[in-house]
Amino acid sequence: MPSEKSELLQGTLDMLILKVVALGPVHGYGISLRIRQISKDVLRVQQGSLYPALHRLEKRGWIEAEWGESDNGRQARFYKLSSRGRKQLAAEETNWRRLAEAIGLILETAR
Amino acid sequence: MFFRKHNREPQLDTELRFHIDELIEANIAGGMAPQEARRQAMIEFGGTEQIKEELRDVHRVAILDNTLADVRAAFRFARKSPSFSMAVILTLALGIGANSAVFSAIDAILLRPLPFPDGDQLMRMRQSDRRAKDSWSAVAPVRLEDWNRMNSTFQAITGYYTEDETESSGALPEKVTRASVAPRFLEVWGVAPSLGRDFAPDELRFGGPGAVLISDRFWRRRFGADPHAIGRTLRFGKYSTTIVGVMPASFLFPERGVDLWSPVPVDAPYAQSREEAWYAVIGRLKPGVKPPKARADLATVQASLGRAYPTTDADLNVIVDPLKEITVGGVRGSLWLLYGSVSLLLLIACTNIAALLLARATHRQHEIAIRFSLGASRARVVSQLLTEALLLALCGAALGFVVAKGAAMLFRALAQDLPRVEEIGLDWRLALYTLACAMAATLLCALFPAFRATRGGLAGSLAQATRTQVSSRNRLQLALVGVQVALAVTLLSGAGLLVRSFQELGRVSPGFETSHILTFHVTATWGETNDMKGLRQRIQGTLDSLRAVPGVEDAATSGTLPGVPEHNQTEFRVVEAAADPARRIMAEGRSVSPGYFATMRIPLVAGEVCRVTPTSLSGVVNRSFAETYSPQSSLIGRHLLLPGVPSLPPIEIRGIVGDARETGINMAPLPTVYLCDSTPEPDPHFLVRTHNAPMSVAQGIRRKVREIDPGRSVFDIIPLEERVGDAFAENRLRTILLAFFALTAVSLASMGLYGTLSYLVGVRRRETGLRLALGARRGQILRHFLMQGLGVSLLGCAAGLGLAAALTRLIAGMLYGVSPSDAPTLSGVILLVIAVAAVASLVPAIRAARVEPMQVLRDE
Repeated sequence: MPSEKSELLQGTLDMLILKVVALGPVHGYGISLRIRQISKDVLRVQQGSLYPALHRLEKRGWIEAEWGESDNGRQARFYKLSSRGRKQLAAEETNWRRLAEAIGLILETAR
Repeated sequence: MFFRKHNREPQLDTELRFHIDELIEANIAGGMAPQEARRQAMIEFGGTEQIKEELRDVHRVAILDNTLADVRAAFRFARKSPSFSMAVILTLALGIGANSAVFSAIDAILLRPLPFPDGDQLMRMRQSDRRAKDSWSAVAPVRLEDWNRMNSTFQAITGYYTEDETESSGALPEKVTRASVAPRFLEVWGVAPSLGRDFAPDELRFGGPGAVLISDRFWRRRFGADPHAIGRTLRFGKYSTTIVGVMPASFLFPERGVDLWSPVPVDAPYAQSREEAWYAVIGRLKPGVKPPKARADLATVQASLGRAYPTTDADLNVIVDPLKEITVGGVRGSLWLLYGSVSLLLLIACTNIAALLLARATHRQHEIAIRFSLGASRARVVSQLLTEALLLALCGAALGFVVAKGAAMLFRALAQDLPRVEEIGLDWRLALYTLACAMAATLLCALFPAFRATRGGLAGSLAQATRTQVSSRNRLQLALVGVQVALAVTLLSGAGLLVRSFQELGRVSPGFETSHILTFHVTATWGETNDMKGLRQRIQGTLDSLRAVPGVEDAATSGTLPGVPEHNQTEFRVVEAAADPARRIMAEGRSVSPGYFATMRIPLVAGEVCRVTPTSLSGVVNRSFAETYSPQSSLIGRHLLLPGVPSLPPIEIRGIVGDARETGINMAPLPTVYLCDSTPEPDPHFLVRTHNAPMSVAQGIRRKVREIDPGRSVFDIIPLEERVGDAFAENRLRTILLAFFALTAVSLASMGLYGTLSYLVGVRRRETGLRLALGARRGQILRHFLMQGLGVSLLGCAAGLGLAAALTRLIAGMLYGVSPSDAPTLSGVILLVIAVAAVASLVPAIRAARVEPMQVLRDE
């Protein structure tokens, strides 16, 4: 396991969850696994942040949850994106890109 | 909520355990031993309980928690800005207090049923003569019994009349008011004596034992509330009667001042004529019967009576009205008018507060932005803003309830003559109403500012810089000020018109002189009409001795008071002229003693003043009568008949007098016939003209009346000017209250203008400083802000005039001598409002012009 783990920026966890959930219904364990895999082990989400975030997003109506069976036949809670969540994700993505671009520009010129 | 919470707990467990199980499995797949795999998974996952608690927190943000948090925040907010809170609370206390006070009167007088069991079933019946339009009279006892026997829609019908008498069983004779009542009186009211009993059957028969019920007031006054008062006797002239019961204190009908009730036997020989008009008739409908059905029923009854007694009953109609309508109908217009004006006042107060909240929201932009960024939903933020306003509104309403209590007491003191005024009180209905007012006020004041403040959510509020706020919100605040000005102008126009009417009324020359006239009564009973000759002699003797009282110039009697509204439209026929059915002669009939015209200073135009002669009748007519009904030939010497009273001999017209506004100062003189009769009833109004202040002769008059007849007392000694004034007491009260509300409205609106403009000056201080630094003159700055205030006020005035034009039509019926669009009044209103607006704008404008550019730039 690489020792360099990056801290998540405040507020970006929600966006990441939305993005992962957008790929298809998935349970909490699956989400943490995918964030780790996709970020090539750079980002690791603490369960203590993940579940509150999931429930908060559900309460806001951005994701929906339902019980189902996992691959190995266990009861698991699957999350999927709602239409409002899709809009929210799009907005946050645009916002993030702009921000990242801006920060990138500054870092470029400062070099 | 608890149900869902209990339901959620196992779900949380399952969801988290699934994650741990997956971790364990992954670890085992990675080659760990099961024990070790479990331990590592637990370490990686972290504290399960802690996570669960956090998840519970996410869900616990339920309604109750939110509300408590909102209320706590609201208290914090109210404490943090005390001057703002006080301004809102006081404004609302005034608005809600005035509104609740008027509502308490509306509720007690207009909305509630009369204070009797099933009070809405009580009806007032009158008879009207088809030949005399707009005229109605009391009902003969025998006819009342016929109605009661023949109808099918009433449980019972009864009647009463009141007269003042002298009761002489005590140390000194005392004037008391007696209601003589027909049988079934208490049955109709549905009220039982609080002490003693109702009349017994033998007490209702002629020649049976005398019996009276006494009022609670009389019981306390005369007997000190002694229960042994039952069975004592009261003495009226030659007759003694026994007290059989005491009525409850709340029983104030038919009149507030009634001291005792006594039955009139149906079989009394003097009560058998169908032409006698005695009773005001009251009936109680059977359950479920509505007035129209009762009307139809009584019409049928009267029609069959008309066939049975063609001479007396054929031309009579029966009028049936709800008793409540008769009691309170006269003040309905005034009360709703007042209610309308206090509602406008409350609306102004709300608008004022909305403007304050808008200004406040600007300062809180930052706070709201932070809330959004912390994840609050818009509904949460709006609900918190509303809770803040509601807290203030509730404080305002509580204070308003106190204001209403004071105002209701004041109202009762000012409006003693209003019907049912003693029923006005503060109770849970009013408390609920006040609470509803607070809720409505909250929504009116706060909903819109709250939605505006949270518009655009997080992105919007973060994007909006707090620096330059010359945004549309300021236009909105100015618009709110315009609305206040418009509403204030509307109220002030209405008040102005009423005040002008009142002035016009004072300027009218009534055709007689009200000053230096004292009016009073001398106790008498209807029993005296058995000896008309003796009665005439008594009244004549009293008049003669009154003229001998020092300070008295002249004395007269009259059946009605001049200038106090009372109508007695009667049909007349000129004996010498051919009857023309198409042109009936309708005129006011008034009975006066010959000295009346000299006493009232009503000038004689032609002929001579009438005389009282034992054998024939004479009278005079006024100029309107002569001009309307006999413009060509002189009426003097001709004779008038009353088709409605066939038994009356012809009246000889002896003269013509000037027109006088006898039926009310606000009414044009009507064609009038004065019948010379100093004793139209045993207890006429006495009128004396005095040399000095009217009340100065009161003692002399008392002494003189006692001298000639020790058994009689003088009462109701009141100057005529006061009587005429009292006839307009409701009018006066309405005018005063409306003027008061209107002035309050204007001050609220000017406060709103001042507050908003001050706020704008503050917000634009930086801009102003910059402009000054760039070379703007202070005069320009002053003019700019002044014009902003005046401009919005002018727009408000224009809108207010439009509104007033629509609304003052509602009060057209209450106006006298001015039209609803009276130009001087309306321009006066506009001038006043603009002057106030100018002052209110000038202060902040001067403050703006005094801004020091250097200071502002340094503050940057």
